Amino acid sequence: MAYPAPDILRGTFDLLILKALSWGPAHGYAVGRWIESATGDALEVGEGTLYPALHRLEERGWVSASWGTSENNRRAKFYSLTSAGRAQLRVEVANWRRYAAAVFAALEAPALR
Amino acid sequence: MGTSRWERFRRFVGPDPRGDVEDELSFHLEMRVRELVERGETPQRARELALRRFGDYESSRTACVEIDERRRRRMVRTEYLTELRQDFGYALRMLRRTPAFTTVAVASLALGIGATSAIFSVVRGVLLQPLPYQAADRLHVVQTLYPDGTAYPALSAPDFMSIRESNQVFEQVEAFSGATLTLLGAGEPREVQGATVSDGLFEMLGLRFAAGRGFVREEFQPGQGRVAVLDHGFWQRQFGGDATVLGRTLTVGGEAYEIVGVLAPDAQLPMPAEMYAPLEYGPTFSATTGTGRRSEFLGVLGRARPGLPDDGIDADLGRIGTLLQSEFPQTNGRLTFSASGLGEMVIGDVRTPLLVLFGAVGFVLLVACANVANLLLARISARQDELAVRTALGAGRGRLVRQLMTESVVLGVAGGAIGLLIAYWGTRALIAAQPADIPRLDQVGVNGTVVLFTLVVSLVTGLLFGVVPALQATGARLMTALREGGRGALGGAGHRARAGLVVAEMTLAVVLLTGAGLLIRSFIELTRVDPGFQPERSIAFRVTMQGDEYGEAQQIRDRVAEVLERLGSLPGVTAGAGTSLLPMSGRGSLWDFQVGDAPPPPNVNAEIGIASVTPDYFRAVGTRLVRGRMLSERDGNDAPRVALINEAGARQWFPNEDPVGRRVTTGGVEREIVGVVGDVLQRDPGQPAMAQLYLPYAQRTTRSVRIVVRTAGDPLALAPDIRTVVRSLDPNLPLAELAPLEQLVASSMARPRFYTALLALFAGLALLLASTGIFGVLSYAVAQRTREIGIRLALGASAGGVVRMIVIRALVLAAAGVGLGIVVAVAMGRVIRSQLFGVSVIDPLTLGGVVLVLGASAVAASWLPAQRAAAVDPVNALRE
Repeated sequence: MAYPAPDILRGTFDLLILKALSWGPAHGYAVGRWIESATGDALEVGEGTLYPALHRLEERGWVSASWGTSENNRRAKFYSLTSAGRAQLRVEVANWRRYAAAVFAALEAPALR
Repeated sequence: MGTSRWERFRRFVGPDPRGDVEDELSFHLEMRVRELVERGETPQRARELALRRFGDYESSRTACVEIDERRRRRMVRTEYLTELRQDFGYALRMLRRTPAFTTVAVASLALGIGATSAIFSVVRGVLLQPLPYQAADRLHVVQTLYPDGTAYPALSAPDFMSIRESNQVFEQVEAFSGATLTLLGAGEPREVQGATVSDGLFEMLGLRFAAGRGFVREEFQPGQGRVAVLDHGFWQRQFGGDATVLGRTLTVGGEAYEIVGVLAPDAQLPMPAEMYAPLEYGPTFSATTGTGRRSEFLGVLGRARPGLPDDGIDADLGRIGTLLQSEFPQTNGRLTFSASGLGEMVIGDVRTPLLVLFGAVGFVLLVACANVANLLLARISARQDELAVRTALGAGRGRLVRQLMTESVVLGVAGGAIGLLIAYWGTRALIAAQPADIPRLDQVGVNGTVVLFTLVVSLVTGLLFGVVPALQATGARLMTALREGGRGALGGAGHRARAGLVVAEMTLAVVLLTGAGLLIRSFIELTRVDPGFQPERSIAFRVTMQGDEYGEAQQIRDRVAEVLERLGSLPGVTAGAGTSLLPMSGRGSLWDFQVGDAPPPPNVNAEIGIASVTPDYFRAVGTRLVRGRMLSERDGNDAPRVALINEAGARQWFPNEDPVGRRVTTGGVEREIVGVVGDVLQRDPGQPAMAQLYLPYAQRTTRSVRIVVRTAGDPLALAPDIRTVVRSLDPNLPLAELAPLEQLVASSMARPRFYTALLALFAGLALLLASTGIFGVLSYAVAQRTREIGIRLALGASAGGVVRMIVIRALVLAAAGVGLGIVVAVAMGRVIRSQLFGVSVIDPLTLGGVVLVLGASAVAASWLPAQRAAAVDPVNALRE
């Protein structure tokens, strides 16, 4: 059962979508599957929230969409990263690394004297 | 979960975010179900699990659709703006590349739009702007209605009180009365235009005060009203806007008034005056009295209750009229009352001429539009290749039309901007010309409304002249242009459209020329009217004798006699006389009139215009005696009462009889008619003379008298001597309106001259534009047909033949325009019929003149193209 993703995960979710698309164009289902397997199902968000996120990214111009044919010959909407999206991915990855490093550093810091 | 064919088709036609999102989401569910089934779930169970994993399907779908719609709208907008910017930049580049075309087009439009805006600013200020009074649209002028149906905007004091007290339609009824007063003790003696006002007039009109107060109730009692309110302009002129003027004394007309208030700058009565005093409520200000009912000297204004039906006021006034008829049969027996809107009274007779001018200037604008459309068509023919290439590169028709329209709107707005300047100067020139008593000219000017009007006109104009060429150019034949290498692809259709536009221009020009021609003919007819007097070499002025020195009528007569005697001895003076009424200044007082003992015929005003004249008057103004004798010095105050009647009066009251020797009663006095004099113009030359009676000045002496002096030389050279004479006799006598009699005639013609000149100007403008149109069409045709002309010449056609061919072509276009134009002009004739004098709407001379002018312009416009055609070198033309 899906539970509401904490706010901090909203941005992370966009980041993961961009990352998923960095391997090449994919339809929404494939993006969802990749996130599932890559995170070991740890981020179990409602699959439904994936699509508004994709459309929002399209609106911002980070991904573009076109209709194509899926591996089982069905009409499907494929998303791919735009160059702006690629740049955004780089920025967000860097941000996330800095952020995570800071949190880890804090978690491993000695006690307050 | 397949989508229907129809859905697919629809999506193919246009974007359908809703369907797309549906497809996308159901694809996801389908994939998940397949995966679960492969793992061994039953299809039923798989479906449930898939839906559960998905979460809230509905909100997900709605969110996606919303995002997509938003994105699509933004894209459309961005695309539109980008294209607009592109079109705009492109338009500017194209227009810069053809400076000759751009200049001619912008100049045409600037003239058309400028003239339209200038006239609009006049129409707005004079006709559209509400009068500067509160509830101005509910203000009405009450009139006395005479048996023959003429209405006179004045009431007697008792009638005013009757209406004030027993009407059921007005919230308030107020009155005013004007008087000319002599101002003393402030340098040169001068005349002041004064008005007395009833107790609620300022308040009803909503007039505000710059200083001081209005009048209080007691000041309207007889003998209590020696207080004055000053007009703002008079306060500025006479007292330099001095704030300490309140409480000071103003001596006018031999009386001292205490100044109690000053009106605000924009506060003015419908009949402006320089100073106001309370109306004295004497004994005749009574609804029940029978005396004074036939002395109409009050202007009366009423403010109607809100929401009255249009005919309600006249019905109620008619009711009061009937009531008074039975109550006072002696005085009110045949009279009743009516009302007309104040706005109508102020602007009534300038509305039609102004609207005619506005219509005319609209025609000029249309001609300018047609002209520019024509230029655009020619230009677009030359741009066929460019357009064809753009189409081939994927620009849709709508896109091309929009791009071409952008060009024309840019032209329109550029023309409008320069037009606004023209309107600004034009309006200033109009106001400076002071076109004869057009009311409210001070309201005229280029303001926000006019600028807005100009902007709208420019945009509409741009669209109007742009749309035909744009549609024409992008029509179905466009693609053939590319195929045929662009040579004259628009050929027939384009040429027909251009010829059609030229004919339309000609038609409009003919209508305007006909209108202008008719007005010019009327004007000439007006100048030909015999005024009945000889205005040349004579000069007139007015003196008003008030104060202690002139308490008795005999004192006034003596002073007039002295003035005349002294003036008569000036060198060059051949005649001098006094009168209460100059020619072209109305009919003077209107008095009741009866021939012998006969009762008045029905439906005739038993009244006549009254003037007092000294014996030499008719010799001084140059009016002839028809029969009987002139007045003489023997017709003094002690002599038997006598009178002269004019020819119109003789015709009206003595048909087929000799009036000389007949006895008539007027103003309660019986007189003998001793002579008949020629008719003299009473208003302007367009109006027939009406009955007029001349009494000896000695038997009816007026305080205000006009002196006419006839001289052998330049009448104006006499002015200094006249001033000296009058000052030497009485230094306190103000001398007013000193002007040659010819000026009376000139100013009576000022208004027709003004309208005629403007309409002629507009007609000329239209003709010029239309001729440019013919010139353009022919030049283009010659350029297009160089090859054909070359062949003709090579085959032996003479240069003269080629010239003839081109000129005939111009004449055919002009003939079509003239034919149509005359039909339209005749159909529209009734619009200006009321402005015409002595000429009918279908005037052969005018129409003939128009045909000649148009034909001549067509030949002139075709001359250059024809010469160019004749000069075509056959060898070069064929080699091309």
